[in-house]
Amino acid sequence: MQLKNKHKPVRRGLALATASLLGVPVVNTANALQPSSEWEVDTSILFYAETDRVSLAEPIIRARKDIGDDQFLTMKLVLDTLTGSSANGAVATGSAQTFTTPSGQGTYTAGANETPLDDSFHDTRVALSGEWERPLGASTRAIFGVNASTEYDYQSIGVSATFNWDFNQKNSTLTAGLAYNADTVNPVGGAPVGFTPMPTFPSVKATQGTGLSKDVGDLIIGWTQILGRKDLMQVNFVYGNESGYLTDPYKILSVVDGTTGDTNSYVYEQRPDSRSRQAFFWRWSHMFEEDVFRISYRYYTDDWGIASNTVDMHYRFEINPRHYLEPHVRYYAQSAADFYHTSLIDGQSYDNASADYRLADMTDTTIGLKYGVSLSNKSEFSIRAEHMLQQADPSQVIGNQSAQDLVPDVTANMLTFNYTLQW
Amino acid sequence: MSSPSLEYKQDHWVGRFQAMASPCEILIDSDDQLLAAQLLQAAQDEALRIEHKFSRYRQDNITYQINQSHGQAVEVDEETASLLDYAQQCYELSDGVFDVTSGVLRQAWKFDGSDRIPTQQQIDTLLSNIGWPKISWQRPVIRVPAGMEIDLGGIGKEYAVDRTALLLEQIAPISILVNYGGDLMTTKARRNGQGWIVGVESTAMFKKKKNKTLTKTEFELLQGGIATSGDTRRYLLKNGIRYSHILDPRTGWPAKNAPHSVTVAAGTCTEAGILATLAMLQGKQAEAFLKAQEVRFWCQR
Repeated sequence: MQLKNKHKPVRRGLALATASLLGVPVVNTANALQPSSEWEVDTSILFYAETDRVSLAEPIIRARKDIGDDQFLTMKLVLDTLTGSSANGAVATGSAQTFTTPSGQGTYTAGANETPLDDSFHDTRVALSGEWERPLGASTRAIFGVNASTEYDYQSIGVSATFNWDFNQKNSTLTAGLAYNADTVNPVGGAPVGFTPMPTFPSVKATQGTGLSKDVGDLIIGWTQILGRKDLMQVNFVYGNESGYLTDPYKILSVVDGTTGDTNSYVYEQRPDSRSRQAFFWRWSHMFEEDVFRISYRYYTDDWGIASNTVDMHYRFEINPRHYLEPHVRYYAQSAADFYHTSLIDGQSYDNASADYRLADMTDTTIGLKYGVSLSNKSEFSIRAEHMLQQADPSQVIGNQSAQDLVPDVTANMLTFNYTLQW
Repeated sequence: MSSPSLEYKQDHWVGRFQAMASPCEILIDSDDQLLAAQLLQAAQDEALRIEHKFSRYRQDNITYQINQSHGQAVEVDEETASLLDYAQQCYELSDGVFDVTSGVLRQAWKFDGSDRIPTQQQIDTLLSNIGWPKISWQRPVIRVPAGMEIDLGGIGKEYAVDRTALLLEQIAPISILVNYGGDLMTTKARRNGQGWIVGVESTAMFKKKKNKTLTKTEFELLQGGIATSGDTRRYLLKNGIRYSHILDPRTGWPAKNAPHSVTVAAGTCTEAGILATLAMLQGKQAEAFLKAQEVRFWCQR
């Protein structure tokens, strides 16, 4: 939510006073105008590039139309084009390693002392969503949404409903929302059976079929409070539950000798088939004469054993009424999932295991700068550059593994161009 | 009093007259000329009644009586009492930004397009005679200390627009647009289900013609009011700084960096007028203020 309430809203009180002066009922302002074409169109493109790894281009078009009676329709189209390499989960070793591609149609190789990256990673995702926002009575607004996305190996379809209730003369807003998504995973070459060995090409992996489902439900409760003329506070709580196929079908783990740490084989990862998570979020926005400062904190925890803390700060400098600069700093730290293992020890048994570094003890630091310019009072252009550093720790370092960088840092650069136009 | 003119245009009657130093216009969604003439007469009578009653240029009305009372109690009629209640509510809602006692500042500020800026000393002297809380208002009795005055003119025109619209609506339940010098109110949707096409007048529009798609001068008004506050005609110019005629009662000076004009659409014309005035007094923050009010608005800078 934007800091639109830095000014005390007087409209409601004024509408009441005016109605009393004229001896008429309070008139809903929304009926005052019938806009024939009140459009707001937002276009942006994000370029994201991890050093030596994945790069992504993501154009987004969002159009919002005022359809009258205080109702709005929003449509959003997102295209993701992903290319490059992604860590497959195996650890670097002193010699070259050869892996079978997910499709089983070929192989790829990681050199000695190199983190194995699967370079068969290309995907295009198309996501479309729509929202209908409408008032429900005098102080409640409802937003109903639908969304669908498709990519080569993943389909998702979902619905959501959010209700915002204003009270305390519109100084307070209570939010309650529900969302449900039904996803289907169709892994390339089928979904491997967890802990079965990665076959040596041209052998084929054992699969548990394709078209596996995943259901995601989320519940959000939030409260937004205007504190005087200059401050806005927002808190919310999200409870989410996921069930079904939550494993990454393309990720493997190295199975190593418990003493030497040398890699003996590779097995497919397996994650639990459910996950329940909670997040608490707090944000404070302060308006100076013109500048705006925003700070937020988020605490997240789930039953996979991950707990994370995020602090995010933005400061918007109004250089003059047309130009602004907005530096941004974000720091994220998480504890590892219970089943995160940098590698597995041969002969031991595991219920679940993944070597995905995003489930490890990890920190993520992002710094960025955004520049925005109003081209007119109906259009704005902005450009944002961000740099991100992810640093993760291995769960265990065994024998010869100490010679390797088991979980190398990942750095990424992001560049976003945005253009907003109203007419 | 000049007689009003009536003219038929395509599918409605347009009545015109002069009141409150402004051109006044009534659009009547009817083909009935007799009805149109009756409505027009009623509108003119109402506009002149309100002008007569609240004008600060007359010496035979309640405003004069209150302002010349030198601290004596004055008992006011129901309508004046409602306006005073309203003035008090606006003062409270705006934290003192809207103050009907600020009219005395006009003794120092003459908005005639000249460069005569008052001295701070002049302003300071006048500021001691400003402040709604210094007035004793216990409906129906008001006491205005000597040296202070009240001026309901800041809301007078918009109030007249709303009053006229309400009166005409009682005479004939048809769609009527009341337009007094650019402040508007319409009673309901037209016979064809559509609204009245209204243009937002502005000097800045010319600048924007190059950017054709960005200008939206016309829209359809189905129901509700529109009011404009601006300095396009009334201003002072000194050293290249344009001083708006909207004076801040807290400082005695015009709002700095205020838009040239602010147009607001709201449920009633009066409400729109107050919001437009409050926005002007926010200066640079006018747009942000209006966004927070969640009303439709047009700011010309």
